[in-house]
Amino acid sequence: MNPFDPRSVLLAKHAQHVVLIHFPIALFVAGVTFDLLAAWKKSRELATAVYYNLTAAAISTVPAAATGLLAWQWQLEGKHLKGVLLLHMVFGLLSTALIWLIWWLHSRARHRPDGSLPRYRFPIELLSLPLVALTGHLGGFLSGVNIPG
Amino acid sequence: MNNRRLASMILVLLPVLVVLIFLGHKKAQAGTAAAAPGVIKIDNFSFTPATLTVPVGTTITWTNSDDIPHTVVSDDKTFKSKVLDTDEKFSYTFTKPGTYSYFCSVHPKMTAKIVVQ
Repeated sequence: MNPFDPRSVLLAKHAQHVVLIHFPIALFVAGVTFDLLAAWKKSRELATAVYYNLTAAAISTVPAAATGLLAWQWQLEGKHLKGVLLLHMVFGLLSTALIWLIWWLHSRARHRPDGSLPRYRFPIELLSLPLVALTGHLGGFLSGVNIPG
Repeated sequence: MNNRRLASMILVLLPVLVVLIFLGHKKAQAGTAAAAPGVIKIDNFSFTPATLTVPVGTTITWTNSDDIPHTVVSDDKTFKSKVLDTDEKFSYTFTKPGTYSYFCSVHPKMTAKIVVQ
């Protein structure tokens, strides 16, 4: 099939979760990075970029999580969760919840008169980063792209 | 019986004896091969051995020794396992000769084949 044929995207035989998951990961990492920069530079423009990055990250967790659950039910036949699969799902759902929490903190701040963000968001964001990374790492093992050797 | 006659008898009987031993060995071998099932190990995202040659009638058992779920699915859908968790097994008896290529439907790059003779 021609790689530029839209059907090669829409009718791909591989699970869509492994494709879609890149969006929330990248957008969230970019959002946190911009947030640190915005705080350091005291830049309102960067702060605005943070909000939109986190908004896109939060929204993109929905199809990513949905396709992950579908892959578990369809491709893995709803296999009993244990080991790497269980860890990946737990960490993935936790990551999703944290991304939405962080988005909510930023969204709430935009409705404040001074637009100030709580400082406690930093430890939440900095703890979420390795969790998201670990979730992706385990996903790599599950998909077979991260095997040793 | 003189020595010449004895030698002639040995010369005639010896090849017959060799042929009989050879045929008996082959029959025993065939019987043994049909009784012993083939074993394929799934580990580290690979099937070991990647190519297995067995006689018709052999039952092959796949055992998933990996930490990740895998499946065993033939290209022509002749056989298809459920999703195998760690230490779970799948068996299939090959009743027709041919070459059966198969893969893991969860990780399609995991491929192997069985040659049934």
